Amino acid sequence: MLLVVTYSRAARRDLRNVCRAHEDCVVRQFGRAALFSGTEFGAFQALRLHEKHGLDIQIEHVEPFEPTDVPKHVREAAKRYEAREEPATPYERFASGRDLPDPDQLRGVDL
Amino acid sequence: MKLRVAGTTYTGAVVDLRTGNVGGRTIATSIRGQRRFPVVSCPEPPAVYAYVGHVHPSMGLRTRTALAAAARSREYETPQDDAIAECRAQLAELESSPPELPDPVDPVPESTIDGLQEAVATHRGRLTARQAVGADDEAARAALRDAATELSERETRRTAARETRELRRERARAYRDTLEKQRRLADELANLRRSARATLVDRCAETFAQAIEAVPGPVPDSPFDADPVTAALGVLRVARTPAPVVLETDRFRSPTAASDCLDAPIVRC
Repeated sequence: MLLVVTYSRAARRDLRNVCRAHEDCVVRQFGRAALFSGTEFGAFQALRLHEKHGLDIQIEHVEPFEPTDVPKHVREAAKRYEAREEPATPYERFASGRDLPDPDQLRGVDL
Repeated sequence: MKLRVAGTTYTGAVVDLRTGNVGGRTIATSIRGQRRFPVVSCPEPPAVYAYVGHVHPSMGLRTRTALAAAARSREYETPQDDAIAECRAQLAELESSPPELPDPVDPVPESTIDGLQEAVATHRGRLTARQAVGADDEAARAALRDAATELSERETRRTAARETRELRRERARAYRDTLEKQRRLADELANLRRSARATLVDRCAETFAQAIEAVPGPVPDSPFDADPVTAALGVLRVARTPAPVVLETDRFRSPTAASDCLDAPIVRC
């Protein structure tokens, strides 16, 4: 899919217009952004906006995501942290002393 | 004030142009320095004149905004002023135009590189085989050389395409970061100005209520419900009015009465 983000009022207005006129290629619309379908038609609409508004339109490729797409230790960390008993504990403190990755370690690794 | 209209020069605190055919709007625009003719020489009008510098029956008025401007003409300050100045300065510094991006380069598909690598390996195998049996290897050598050159060229182009892509993304991101920052600052500025306006309006509400009762016209239940002309006259009574006000209304007995009531130089059109 294509994520289209707008950075000016005019670009935002035109994005809204495209979304209204071409619902079939819009997966989801947010305030100043929208998710277009990953089809040539979706790309065509995104590129039209880009042609008109230049860098005020950002287009990113977005891939579908499932939790199983990430390594098990990351999923495990999220699961156990959200099940913590002390809500005020920051993750860093929670992870130390447990068999969990520390946040800097996670930050340093690309998916 | 000194005012020159159609070859006649008028001076004094009150000028009556009702017999002439110059529009009030034209005079008011001249007073604000937004046109050169007719020539008006007078003290510089404060910002409140943009709202109430020309009073006429078909006018509209954002009363609170105008009243806040009137308060500013009296040099009232608000606790938000420093933050507003700071915000404006930051915004002015951020003004940025879109960066120049290098033209996009078509990426070299991985499959092309893979195919060429395979070709190089095949040619190398053939050359080794021919050399092993002592056969003529000139053609095999040439084929290997061509394939290797082609591979190296494509690899260079692939690297260049990747670098261009990275550069384009980096510059675009930096620019969009600036836009984002600009947006946040503009929001903050708008909020601060709203608060400042509310503070100013609060501070003048009492004076404004008295002004509404003092100026001619229907007295509303609440001062902020006054019709635009009455509200404008009330705002003018609150404001400091060094420059002439253009009046196109019959509310006053005479231009001089208007000048007395509003404590302002008057051009009656």
